[in-house]
Amino acid sequence: MFRAALRSLGQHKVRLLLTLLAVVVGVAFVAGTFIFTDSLKQSFDALFNAPQPDVTVSADSAFATGGQGGGPGSGAEQVPTVPASLLPSVASVNGVAAAYGVVTSTGALVLGKNGKPVGTAGPPARGISWLPDSSINSISLVAGRAPTGPHEVALLEATSTLADAGVGDSVAIETPAGHLTATVVGLVSRGIGGSDGGTLTVFDVPTAQKQMLGNTDTFTSIAVKADPGVDQDVLARRIAATLPAHTKVQTGAQRSADIANRLQTAFGFINTFLLAFALIALFVAIFLIFNTFSMLVAQRTRELALLRAVGASRGQVRQSVLAEAAILGVIAAAVGVLGGIVVSQGLRLLLGVFGANLPAAPLVIQPRTIIVSLILGVGITLISAYIPARRAARVPPIAAMRDDVSLPSKNLRIRGIIGIVLVLIAVLTAVSATRHLDDNLRATQLVGLSAICALTGVIALAPILGRWFIGLFGAPLRRHAIGNLAVENGRRNPRRTAATATALAIGLALMTAIGVLAASTKASVASVVDDTIGADYIILGANFQPFRPDVYQAVKNTPGTSTVTFTRQLPLSVGDSQGVLTGIESGKFQKVFSLTMDSGSADNLLPGDAIVDSDTANKLGLTLGQNVPVDYVNGPGFLILRGTYKPAGPITGWIADIQTLTDAGGRDLDSAVYIRSASGADPAAVRASLDQELAAFPAVKLQDQASLKDQINQQFDRVFGFIYALLALAVIVAFLGIINTLALSVFERRREVGLLRAVGTSRAQIRRMVVIESILIALFGALVGIALGLIYGILFRKVLESVGITQLAIPTGQLTWFIILAVVGGVVAALWPAFTASRLDVLKAIATD
Amino acid sequence: MTIAAHCLSLSKIYGDGDTRVTALDAVDVEITAQQFTAIMGPSGSGKTTLMHCLAGLDSVSSGQVWIGDTDLSQLSDKDLTRLRRDSVGFVFQAFNLVPTLTALENITLPMDIAGRKPDQEWLDTVITTVGLGDRLKHRPSELSGGQQQRVACARALASRPTIVFADEPTGNLDSKSGAEVLGFLRKSVDEFGQTIVMVTHDPNAASYADRVIFLADGHVVDEMFNPTSASVLERMKAFDSKRA
Repeated sequence: MFRAALRSLGQHKVRLLLTLLAVVVGVAFVAGTFIFTDSLKQSFDALFNAPQPDVTVSADSAFATGGQGGGPGSGAEQVPTVPASLLPSVASVNGVAAAYGVVTSTGALVLGKNGKPVGTAGPPARGISWLPDSSINSISLVAGRAPTGPHEVALLEATSTLADAGVGDSVAIETPAGHLTATVVGLVSRGIGGSDGGTLTVFDVPTAQKQMLGNTDTFTSIAVKADPGVDQDVLARRIAATLPAHTKVQTGAQRSADIANRLQTAFGFINTFLLAFALIALFVAIFLIFNTFSMLVAQRTRELALLRAVGASRGQVRQSVLAEAAILGVIAAAVGVLGGIVVSQGLRLLLGVFGANLPAAPLVIQPRTIIVSLILGVGITLISAYIPARRAARVPPIAAMRDDVSLPSKNLRIRGIIGIVLVLIAVLTAVSATRHLDDNLRATQLVGLSAICALTGVIALAPILGRWFIGLFGAPLRRHAIGNLAVENGRRNPRRTAATATALAIGLALMTAIGVLAASTKASVASVVDDTIGADYIILGANFQPFRPDVYQAVKNTPGTSTVTFTRQLPLSVGDSQGVLTGIESGKFQKVFSLTMDSGSADNLLPGDAIVDSDTANKLGLTLGQNVPVDYVNGPGFLILRGTYKPAGPITGWIADIQTLTDAGGRDLDSAVYIRSASGADPAAVRASLDQELAAFPAVKLQDQASLKDQINQQFDRVFGFIYALLALAVIVAFLGIINTLALSVFERRREVGLLRAVGTSRAQIRRMVVIESILIALFGALVGIALGLIYGILFRKVLESVGITQLAIPTGQLTWFIILAVVGGVVAALWPAFTASRLDVLKAIATD
Repeated sequence: MTIAAHCLSLSKIYGDGDTRVTALDAVDVEITAQQFTAIMGPSGSGKTTLMHCLAGLDSVSSGQVWIGDTDLSQLSDKDLTRLRRDSVGFVFQAFNLVPTLTALENITLPMDIAGRKPDQEWLDTVITTVGLGDRLKHRPSELSGGQQQRVACARALASRPTIVFADEPTGNLDSKSGAEVLGFLRKSVDEFGQTIVMVTHDPNAASYADRVIFLADGHVVDEMFNPTSASVLERMKAFDSKRA
């Protein structure tokens, strides 16, 4: 029987190729995801092997050490520091060979020849101090020498390329302290042969202190090299004993573990995220494989019956079909693993396109990747082939002797009932979800459950829906014979049409739901900007980095403006919950930003007074007038709660007067400047004056309301674009399914096609017939998918209303494109099958054997 | 007497070298209009090939074929398709009907493909003659074998073709259904003046014809007018004995 299976595979090579392709695409996606994340992990592991201090002393702060976390600046970036006076006492501890002050911070923008900051928006622009001891410095010089003095810097190689400034060239840099022109004296590498896309500027220690921290009394940390033979842990304990409270002492090993932990979580998330899309593609592939095997079995009914007639048992027939599937699965999975290498590189490129630059990484293929891929590939193929195999086993031996046999096929009624029940459950859970909108988590779960029920229900109902749909949409086509034939072909095998269309529907349902959420999110952002921001212009730092107060000074008296005010931000934590404290000029701020108060008042905020958004207040259980203990970067403090406001808009969290921030040790750096034009002022003139004033500040960007919305939208577009790109894979698999179904259908109906040709149907008409059928299947799949996607996009939006997606927007343009693409995809998918059909040999097709 | 179709030194050769088979060897045949002609011969005699070539379904290796005044060798695939659609009717042994279409849709199929309106009066006449009036809305799977062949006959006649080709039309039928189909073909010649060419190896079927052409080994070896089953059977036996 095994030999029979092999033979049969060999005979249907071309037809199996497409099936193979579907499994390959799915498996390649899974393998690619693993290879991608494993490789990325490896490249970060290399980081841990780079030299590093034996012990590091830093501020004991709830906040991640600036410059190490690597996230884009939130605008509230402030690095915890330790007093420089600690350095001598650390250096004098027994067992310390040397101790160095270290500065690591973000906000050193390297300017290109055009005066604009280089590098992409997103990854941080770091400014650090040079650590003179190469045995504990993870950064190494690759050209030139280390910087000394206030006018020398070393740049990361990639940064130097971006800025077009090599050793000996001069370069302009914007730092928190001001504008700096320096000579590049060296180039450095970070030891892992790449960069995260951020820039890196290296100063000597005093310059780094001045430029990055604005003083010479602090460091961000102290790096310690141990005497030979001194244990890291022992030394760390000795150092800790000499230090005041609010300092943290970490060994090199602890730091590594810390970072590794953080990366582990991040990679776990990326991995799960990507795998989810890979599994969607594989799920879609199930329909394709199922269809292929059903059709292959149907075509071989007589052959299988002959096997039964000569004595093969049902089990043997079933096993022979399953053996075929298994062989196919193994081949597909093997090719898929190879394809995974390509996919992993593709994912890297894709992430690059959507703004994330990743370090170059070696290719890591773990045994786990291969095992999981094989199990998935073979498993999916076997599962998909099981029902066709069972059906094959039921072929009665007598079928071998009959001329036209059809496989026993079950009535659609049971499927219909199951489908209706599932859809009813979906409706009920959806209704129940809308009744629990206050309980966000529960509502989301209910909508999710409803979506799954609706999807499976529609899959079950698809054969019935398909007949109905194709009949309805095909009605106008029936007036002509070819159209009528195409419509009937689409309806004749409802299960097959359904499985083919459903594959497409799944992909498009997800894309539509995402589309609705994306459009709604953007619309909500726009409405929030309209509702809350009364300012006509906002000045923001490049990458949302804080900027020097000179900017405010420069624009505050611009003619044609009525109110100019600035905000500052400072991270803070209340208990375990981290947040941001925004400092405002009380009184002026309300003229450029409208806060809707839920309780209390935002007027007359005195130093120490604060208001907070209602969500945070509820979460922390705060009451008006309460004295709330908080932690700032440099130590604890108190805020008196004076009011709560409706969370909306770009500002959330705590709001207090500027003085409160200054008292809490905030830097003199602004997070934004809001500008309101005087009534009657000429907008063009105001804009021109502002542009002129800001020409000297390349690190900031002047935005009006429209460009602010654009900028926020761009960030959403990136995220949603990435998701679309991943979902596109499932849609491609679905179109492979349409090609496969049509090709097999044409083969199955070759007699009929021959007959049509014999009685005078032209080749062009045959081609048209196949293309119309394809379009009808694709349209059915697309419309079912879009309908499901719309319903659940709208429901999820409703559930997410309380987290800020207040507006509902239907991306009609996009949905129209989906439909157009489905039709075009249908035509393209039909090309090859249609060509084959039109070239069928009439005589062979009608010959009676 | 008009000639509906004819061929001159028609040869058909399959394969090359060792596998070379001469199916038809310089065959000259004239099909008289408004006559029922049967082509007979043992298996492998080339009778089906002759029909396919006459009908424009197969290309010829050498020689010429005319349907009416049209020289088929001069036609492209597109023109041949149109000729089959408009001037030729077909009845095959099996797989005659499109399973997704109703009986009526199958009958009007060639005209529908051409985008032409069928002549309603003629259509009614044909349908009444084949006796399918009450089964027009049925799909082929709901019809008996005999009924299916009668639908096929009706389709062949419905577009008033120059000539109808039937390839073993009764091959899959029981004798009663077969007789009905043959009776109908006979009637269409007698009453409507249709020209019919039928390939068969059944002497009884051939007895319905006006003229029988006997083929053997790619040659026309004999012909017979106003045949009976007995005379045809007699003639066929001669082939067998010659072979033996």
